[in-house]
Amino acid sequence: MAGFIIRRLLYMIPMMFAISVVTFIIIQLPPGDFLTAMTARLASQNETIDPGVIAGLRERYGLDQPWTVQYWKWISGILLHGDFGQSLDWNKPVSELIWARMGLTMVVSVTTLLFVWAVAFPIGIYSAVRQYSLGDYFATFFGFLGLAIPNFLLALVLMFVSAQYFGQSVGGLFSPLYINAAWSWAKLGDLISHMWIPVVVLGTGATAALIRIMRANLLDELNKPYVDMARARGLSEIRLLLKYPVRVALNPFVSTVGWVLPHLVSGSVVVSIVLSLPITGPLLLNALFAQDMYLAGTFILLMSMLTLIGTLISDLLLAWLDSRIRNG
Amino acid sequence: MQHVRVLRRQVVSTVAAAILMGAGWAGAAFGFQEAPELKALTDAGKLPPVEKRLPKEPLVLTPLESVGTYGGTWRTATFGGGDSEIERSIGYTRLVRWNPEWTEVIPDIARSVEVNDNATEYTFTLREGTRWSDGEPFTADDLVWWNENVLRNTKITPAAPDWLTAGGETVKVEKLADNKVVFKFAAPNGLFLMNMATVRGSDILAAAPAHYLKQFHKDFNPDGIDALVKAAGATDWVQLFNNKIGFPGRWRDLGRPTLDAWVLTAPYNGTTQVVAERNPYYAKVDTSGNQLPYFDSITIDVMQDTQAIILKAISGEIDMQNRFIETTDARTVIVQNQQKGGYGLFIARPAWSNALLITLNQTHKNPALRAVFSNKDFRIGLSYAINREELNQLIYAGQAKPYQAAPREGTALYDEKMATQYLEYNVDLANQYLDKAGLTKKDGEGYRLGQDGKRITFAIDALTGSPIQVDALELIQRYWRAVGIDMQPRPAERSLIFSRLQNNDNDGLGWVGGGGYDFLGLLDPKWYFPHEYESSFATAWGLYYQNPKDPNAQEPSPAAKKQMDLYRQVQEAPTLEKQLEAMKELLAITRDEFYVIGTNLEPDRVGIVKTNMHNVPKVIPSTSFYMTPGPAKPETFYYQQ
Repeated sequence: MAGFIIRRLLYMIPMMFAISVVTFIIIQLPPGDFLTAMTARLASQNETIDPGVIAGLRERYGLDQPWTVQYWKWISGILLHGDFGQSLDWNKPVSELIWARMGLTMVVSVTTLLFVWAVAFPIGIYSAVRQYSLGDYFATFFGFLGLAIPNFLLALVLMFVSAQYFGQSVGGLFSPLYINAAWSWAKLGDLISHMWIPVVVLGTGATAALIRIMRANLLDELNKPYVDMARARGLSEIRLLLKYPVRVALNPFVSTVGWVLPHLVSGSVVVSIVLSLPITGPLLLNALFAQDMYLAGTFILLMSMLTLIGTLISDLLLAWLDSRIRNG
Repeated sequence: MQHVRVLRRQVVSTVAAAILMGAGWAGAAFGFQEAPELKALTDAGKLPPVEKRLPKEPLVLTPLESVGTYGGTWRTATFGGGDSEIERSIGYTRLVRWNPEWTEVIPDIARSVEVNDNATEYTFTLREGTRWSDGEPFTADDLVWWNENVLRNTKITPAAPDWLTAGGETVKVEKLADNKVVFKFAAPNGLFLMNMATVRGSDILAAAPAHYLKQFHKDFNPDGIDALVKAAGATDWVQLFNNKIGFPGRWRDLGRPTLDAWVLTAPYNGTTQVVAERNPYYAKVDTSGNQLPYFDSITIDVMQDTQAIILKAISGEIDMQNRFIETTDARTVIVQNQQKGGYGLFIARPAWSNALLITLNQTHKNPALRAVFSNKDFRIGLSYAINREELNQLIYAGQAKPYQAAPREGTALYDEKMATQYLEYNVDLANQYLDKAGLTKKDGEGYRLGQDGKRITFAIDALTGSPIQVDALELIQRYWRAVGIDMQPRPAERSLIFSRLQNNDNDGLGWVGGGGYDFLGLLDPKWYFPHEYESSFATAWGLYYQNPKDPNAQEPSPAAKKQMDLYRQVQEAPTLEKQLEAMKELLAITRDEFYVIGTNLEPDRVGIVKTNMHNVPKVIPSTSFYMTPGPAKPETFYYQQ
């Protein structure tokens, strides 16, 4: 097993290298560069910038050099100094920008994940066990509704409701009073009172999908002979359910755990923009729009790495969960 | 024609005369008053008395309605990522500024300025005793330091901005006295003061507090700089220094001394909220000798989505603002929720003139399209083919009126013929003109054929971010199809549009039309003659004007060349009168050439202002060149208790 893990880790090195090159090429693909994007942004706001200043900046940022040189500058900084470069748009170190938003990003993402699991698993199991019951139809109906409503729309509606009927401030994770305050119980309470909107919005789609997956998988398992066998041995229904068929039904779910990790970082970009959440999603989107290549590149690199690590974790979990894989 | 009178009045006929005079404080005998919080600090001995903090003769601002009372927070919102709102609301302080009506340049931090007769020397007199927000004196030395160690240091400023150069040389600043400096240009630079009043002027004072900035400058802190660079995580000292003085980096620096009314207390980190509190050393007072500003603080919520800003506005969380909530589609909801949000409205008059102008690239790389686009009859034909009244009803809710891309009525540059020519909707006339342009052959589907026997087909780029313009273009597509012209609206991301422009790869563009107000026309004439590549009706000529050696540049037409000469005259003229004279001549050519097709005048927009907030003008020009709402004097806004 240790050998397996080490081998997998070693494979990740060339993979990461390949990803970093592809990432950089993709970021360079759109026409123009950071300064074109900046000029265009200013012009669309009816502002102008001096052509002479632009030329000076292009030289300063090294944007007049070929992409290979720019790539080398970036990747050698990461490898040799652990330096992810400077964001052109922010004039700040990339790592600082990302870490500054990582805390709240994790809070939002993990809470959402727990919310999804807490809601989806029991409902999924219930729907499978009581197939075609009133409760199942109810869950199915709302599940499809959750999948069908675009997240950004739900975000706008909930934001409107919370402002209109609960008198909450619009957008963000804190009331204006607490935005710049130090951490305290009151601030935590304020965070929690604002958090339900992003959690519900980000969670509905995933919850609905997970309910359907759980239900379908479990239905497949429930009629298998080993279930009858266990029942015949006199196990209580609930214990039987959780010990055997649910565990097997979790299999496809666990194999996608790998995708959860990068999702934790990128979050749902559109939703966090609509809700003005101070997390990483909007930063990534802005970086891509502004053609802020080092910031965008580092983000994508980070998410690729998390995908690789997540895949490794899900492989290990699968092996633990399913003896057929472990021994195969 | 009120506007014109005001403009004329400010032009002093004698050359070398002081064009700007500061209002002196005559009431020093009354003594000055200050905000209660500052009074408490003064009494506790933590601040010098108010007389010592103010200049000897502070600038007296006359409040629009009434002398105000201290207190309150002004809440606004901005759109994340380098937006200029913070610069406009807190940062509109410079040596000279716009007056609220946007008809002249008036003194701000400088007491007065004199221009010599060929616009090469500008002598600024500062107010004695003016202080930075940390209490250090602001003197001529600060401006000289900026000039020598920032602007003319090629490491920090690889290329000086155009408005600070003339005759190929960067401006030189010389000290005449502690409160007197002269800006010397190598050649006439008549637009210098106007440029200073725009967004550009902020950069000078931001880079002037020498006592603070020296520590970040390698020449002044050779030993300590490396540690500072490392601590800030910057690549080198130049980057660190530029972060301290440039936009938006300077708004992340809490220690920065300023001359603004409010001083930063929570930095602009791009996601949450910016807070600034009253500057105890602010150098302006009202007519009763009360030190300004009236508001204790200002907060700017950084949002990522404009819909969220509109929602904030209607739920009463914004006190005074027009940007982001003034779009045509938000107007209904903003107007309807006045009572609930506790706000009234003011008019935010767009400084650009046209809601949608359409350009056709006369320097197109494809000879067939170039021939068609350069034909004035073709453009006139297309203009007659547009049903502007229907556009107005369907797109602008009847708020706009048919208008060409021309200066607004009531301005000095207004030219009625230019504004109203070829506006009529007349399909027959349109067809006549298109026939006259030589496009008489049609294909099986009724589309006109070009010289090469192929159907004339082209795309008009528009911003995906401006859905209203895209909608309008789709209607225009129908109008033009009716006269046999195949136009495709092409919504595109702005970077893509701009790189097409830079490479002269564009067919045409749908954009808002600039130059509605006089100063906007003088400073940003890109829709009036080929000024830069953004002049998308003749991109390659615009490139030529900037740099004749540009690989995409083309030799302009004689008319365009004449305009380029005229604009040089505008830049060199020492007085506004002469500048406007040359500009009118330039615009007459624009009118005759009919470069761009206008549709409708951009309708007046509305901003919101809390019902108990006073001294806010009823009409405020809206554009970054005016720095809305900066010149409207937010330091004199107050809440009725």
